[in-house]
Amino acid sequence: MSRSTEFLAGCRDEAPLLLGVAPFGMIYAIAALAAGVPAWVAQLASALVFAGAAQLVIVQMLAAGAGALPIALTAGLLNVRHVLYSASMAEYVRHLSRRWRLLLAYLLTDEAYAVAVLRYQRRDGAPTGAQADPARSDRAESDSIAREAAPDLRHWYFLGAGFTLWAGWQASTAAGLLFAATIPPSWELDFAVPLTFIALLTLLLRERAGQAAALAAAIGALAFAALPYKLGLVAAILVGLLAGAWTVRRLEGAR
Amino acid sequence: MSTPTLLALLAAVGALTYLYRYLMIGVFASHRLPPWLHALCRHIAPASFAALTASALFVAGGEVTIALDGPRPWAALVAAAVAWRSRSVFATIGAGMATLYLLKILFR
Repeated sequence: MSRSTEFLAGCRDEAPLLLGVAPFGMIYAIAALAAGVPAWVAQLASALVFAGAAQLVIVQMLAAGAGALPIALTAGLLNVRHVLYSASMAEYVRHLSRRWRLLLAYLLTDEAYAVAVLRYQRRDGAPTGAQADPARSDRAESDSIAREAAPDLRHWYFLGAGFTLWAGWQASTAAGLLFAATIPPSWELDFAVPLTFIALLTLLLRERAGQAAALAAAIGALAFAALPYKLGLVAAILVGLLAGAWTVRRLEGAR
Repeated sequence: MSTPTLLALLAAVGALTYLYRYLMIGVFASHRLPPWLHALCRHIAPASFAALTASALFVAGGEVTIALDGPRPWAALVAAAVAWRSRSVFATIGAGMATLYLLKILFR
């Protein structure tokens, strides 16, 4: 496989995910305008933050009159999961130049991670990363000859997938901004944001610990509602984390 | 919020998010993630979405207002039921918006 075939394969495999991403981009843009965010700032945010759930959270909190610090804390907490993606990708991209890693880090979103990690975990033919898991190192010597003949170009696949998602996210934000001008406020499309949270929440509630975290956080959001600048949301999320951790420990103790 | 403040906020969140993404492939490329962080991360999303949903539905101007005479809590309830059954984000948004419009037409 050449660089361009890897790149194009990444684009092709990422493309179906745009069907799911594009409506989020449009909802984000519409809700941003409804919250009073200037259109150019809303578009810029899609490039700066480039994380759908966090952008929806920011817009939701702006609409509720939250202060900058609570918004930053909430979005910062929500995005911690990217550290997990980064850790999961580390073994595959460790051998790349700093410039490549700086670029791929920017493109490491939920959806690009999901597609790229599958490419790296697929075992058909392509050589594994330069410092793949140590259990395979006994075969490294015989492999090294093959590796020189066929260098690992899967970062081009990652680039293709990440770039496709990036372009789709920017385009759907722009489309939402253009579309929003034609929608009367009485359609209340900003309500799609809490509905999105409900849908994502329901998908996450399969385990006991997640249920405890969600319940505690929801109660906390009401209990701490009077805190200024919506700091209550940050407190509520922290209470939820504690409840989740406590439930895991209690379930493990019961076993 | 003024536009300069908003820009500073977005730049800060963007920088932090970028740092998260670069952290393990760039800064600590030869380290492993501590297990407690791994464990805690699983609870972040459910806690965040639950807090935001509860706040969006039942908090207005820093006060808890469970206004059950408005259409939104009921539309959210229908959406939650659809989410539970369908496990589809789009069915959930569709059902919630449709219920909202229906209630607004019925009780205008």
